[in-house]
Amino acid sequence: MTATQLVGDDTADTPTDTAPGDAIPAPDGSTPARDTRPSGTVKRRRLGWPARIAGGVCASFLLAALLAPLIAPYEPLADDRSNRLQPFFSGGHLLGTDGQGRDVLSRVIWGARPSILTGLIPVFVAGLIGTLLGLVAGLGSHRVNTIIMRTLDVFYAFPAVLLAIAIAAALGSGTSNAIIALSVILVPPIARLAESEVARIRSAAFMEAARVSGAGWWSIALRHVLPNAAPAIVVYCTALVGLSIVYAAGLGFLGLGVAPPTAEWGLMVNELRQFTFSAPGISLVPAVVILIASVAFNVFGDGLRDLLDVKGDGR
Amino acid sequence: MIRFLLRRLGLAIPTLLGVSLVIFVTIRIVPGDPVASLLGPTGSPEARAELTTKLGLDKPIPVQYVTWLGRVAQGDLGRSIAKQTDALAYVWEAFRNTITLSLFAAVVAIVGGIALGVIAATRRGKVASAISSGLSLFAVSAPQYSVGLIFIVYLAAGRGWFPTGGMRNTTGADAGTTLDLIRHLWLPGISAALVPLGIIARMVRSSMLDALAADFVEALRARGLPEWKIRWHAFHNTLPSVLTIAGLQVGYLLGGVIFVEVVFSWPGLGLVVFQSISQRDLPVIQAGVLVSALAFVVINLIVDTLHGLLDPRIRR
Amino acid sequence: MTTLATTSDADIMTDATPPAGGTSGATLRLRDLHTTFSSRGLTVHAVRGVDLDLHPGEITVLLGESGSGKSVTAKSIMRLYGANATFAGTVELDGRGDLLAAGPKEMLSVRGPEIALIPQDPSAALDPLRRIGAQIVEVLRQHKAVPSRAAAKARALELLGQVGIPDPARVYRSFPHELSGGMRQRAVIAIAVSCDPKVLIADEPTTALDVTVQAQILALFRSLIDRMGSAVLLVTHDVGVAEEVGDRIGVMYAGRIVEYGPAADVLGDPRHPYTRALLDSIPTPGVERGQLRSITGQPPVSGELPPGCAFAPRCPEAHDRCRATDPVLVDLPGRRLAACHLLTDDPDAPAGPGDPTDAGAAGPTGGPGGPDGPVDAAGPTDETPVEAPAPAGEESAA
Repeated sequence: MTATQLVGDDTADTPTDTAPGDAIPAPDGSTPARDTRPSGTVKRRRLGWPARIAGGVCASFLLAALLAPLIAPYEPLADDRSNRLQPFFSGGHLLGTDGQGRDVLSRVIWGARPSILTGLIPVFVAGLIGTLLGLVAGLGSHRVNTIIMRTLDVFYAFPAVLLAIAIAAALGSGTSNAIIALSVILVPPIARLAESEVARIRSAAFMEAARVSGAGWWSIALRHVLPNAAPAIVVYCTALVGLSIVYAAGLGFLGLGVAPPTAEWGLMVNELRQFTFSAPGISLVPAVVILIASVAFNVFGDGLRDLLDVKGDGR
Repeated sequence: MIRFLLRRLGLAIPTLLGVSLVIFVTIRIVPGDPVASLLGPTGSPEARAELTTKLGLDKPIPVQYVTWLGRVAQGDLGRSIAKQTDALAYVWEAFRNTITLSLFAAVVAIVGGIALGVIAATRRGKVASAISSGLSLFAVSAPQYSVGLIFIVYLAAGRGWFPTGGMRNTTGADAGTTLDLIRHLWLPGISAALVPLGIIARMVRSSMLDALAADFVEALRARGLPEWKIRWHAFHNTLPSVLTIAGLQVGYLLGGVIFVEVVFSWPGLGLVVFQSISQRDLPVIQAGVLVSALAFVVINLIVDTLHGLLDPRIRR
Repeated sequence: MTTLATTSDADIMTDATPPAGGTSGATLRLRDLHTTFSSRGLTVHAVRGVDLDLHPGEITVLLGESGSGKSVTAKSIMRLYGANATFAGTVELDGRGDLLAAGPKEMLSVRGPEIALIPQDPSAALDPLRRIGAQIVEVLRQHKAVPSRAAAKARALELLGQVGIPDPARVYRSFPHELSGGMRQRAVIAIAVSCDPKVLIADEPTTALDVTVQAQILALFRSLIDRMGSAVLLVTHDVGVAEEVGDRIGVMYAGRIVEYGPAADVLGDPRHPYTRALLDSIPTPGVERGQLRSITGQPPVSGELPPGCAFAPRCPEAHDRCRATDPVLVDLPGRRLAACHLLTDDPDAPAGPGDPTDAGAAGPTGGPGGPDGPVDAAGPTDETPVEAPAPAGEESAA
């Protein structure tokens, strides 16, 4: 059957196909994750191995942040001018020391706290606000819907990072301002997803029953719509965490996050990049840590999305 | 076609107004009293009142917005606090370098993304497909500043294959030539291109798979066309949607490019914004955001037009 | 008992001649064609041994419900399936040999100039982003049917005229979405006949069109065939279409041809219970609505075929032997064939307890297959049409 090779077989390789890199939330642009699986095939789904490994990496990052005082070998702020830019594995400094002789590993571990928090909190805040907006827009009148959704559209006229920088710069440096800025830019995509989920649920049969039974707006929203929309929204938010961490570190990198000498990954990238010639390895440490965190959170979120088949547009 | 274009232009107006409103809001949320910060702690109440009137801060917010909008429309975005020059002119000068870098990155992202996506779609289940899928996932997740630094350490500083930063050599035989510029463009260009490249690759892959599964593909096959011609038909059909995403991505490049410019000391808008952040030079930051947002709107307009050219169905 | 039945089956099988009743002059000959799809351990046997001859200038209709394997049969001829399909048997094209053994390169030269396809939905059969003219020219150039680009354009315009398009020059420049459904289907037909194919396969060519356009397209089709002399395989579920253009009809059920013969005979005097049921299910002028009946139950899912005749669970006349052994096509008078035990069983054959035709009524176990409740209620041996007020079997009528 040589001719068989001519025709793309759409069904044969799907099980492995979904594993690597199919549907992460697009950090920019609106790329709805597409499911090329033929409809009607029932298969037991579970997280693929890349997503499980990534989940482990994410968990260890969270654990490191949580247990920083216990596992960090040194004080993150303890400088030692005589021990500047020590190479990897020297004098008990696994990842060397920075320009002020501070232990890089300890700073990476302590830095996980502000870095991950500045990534997680905006997703959480934006998740709440976005869900509320989506509920109101999805259940409200046509006019309410138009007003909310058109307003959100305006935010799509900016590169998201740029808007975050503008807001953070206007508010001034600081972790809380960075969190506000990131929350603002994460609301529109979450609200869009929530709105489309609500619209989908709204057309379901049981909604008609709830309306006929005379349930009030809040009762319908909280008892019928929210529980059904929540899984998709939660999964989508999970998929946004990686992106949010990258943005948070980016703000830190530009000097819009925590103030020195606090350890934070983005700020560390900026502090260490002056040593690209004198200590190239050390200068890369925080950059690589962010890269690993970003890939891990994205692959994990991607896997979750695949599992629950959530579509949504990211930015 | 003309009507199509006019309608698109008409649709851009509310977007522009929205953009201006958002920027106005970011100006208004600046903490602290602008009058006090301008006059310093020594200002007399009379001087304060005078300046307040002069700045129009005694008027209601909507009036302030309209006045501000009028000034912006005339290209007046205030003066740079640090440089004491016209903020817009200062930003515009830098923005031209950003355009150079972004265009280069856009070409890399679109060419690379399409190539990667087509490979992933047409060689499914094979090693090439797995690699291209993995690459696009990695590209999507890679922060520009991390990639830029890794490039500098491994390809520029250590090896000397590429310059570590800047836009042109000031000394040397080829200082200021186009070749020199291109040599400087490679690393920042690829760093900025990576995220959009990954997204475009994923988009191309999924639309190519959709197109290859479309009914007309079977019809083409039944006409005895060879497989490469069928793939060409399918690819042609992905172009409208790919173009839309690619256009958006080129727009988003303007955001990511800021980090790249800082890392590679590229004398563009991002570097200017970065320096203005530490100097709290807000007019420059606002002018920068406004210029980028304008460019973004213009890019979307161009994309819409191209979309209309590529897809006869939406051209009405 | 079973042994006896099997032997008699085998005897019949050796006697069975190819359905065309003689192979001379056939352009395309299918012999024992099997098509199987497998995907992740799931196997679907969509075509289970089809014999068919297509003659020049003749329209052979494959008639059946969706899922009967008629479309798969048609597309298997052109091998329009991916790696998940496997074929068995032979598809012999006059002058080309067995297409199932042909290489991919050879298939490229078969598709178009030798065998052309008119797909079901004209709007899905055209590349939406190419002008109609460009799509015709592409095919002409691909198969070197014309010497030059200019000649290709001239030929394309001529073809558009031949398929009854009043303004060929305009349609030549049009995109598919700018044309009506009927015009689009004409354009698709123009592409299909552009290289003078020996065999034309039309897969539900009028299903997506509205009724008046359907009639026009069918008339055009008939006149084109009469002029070109192609052998045509027309796949449809619409008895009306089959009646209008068919020369011969093969009725398909569960991947097999269950009845075959000249169109007028098959439709006028159906021999297989399934054909009868199919004809009963369509409204005919002059027949009261109350007498319409739909075929109860669902066509079997391939892979879950009953052991005997595939139609037995839905057949009002099924008896024990039907459920035990699969009938094969047997010759009937008038160059016809049908596969049904009712046509071959002679009362003396020890097929079941007592008279096989009475078996259905003989006892509760002899009733038709359990899953089909409505038939049960209507009574399996009740040969008269169900009257309007009848309690069951009526609900599913159109």
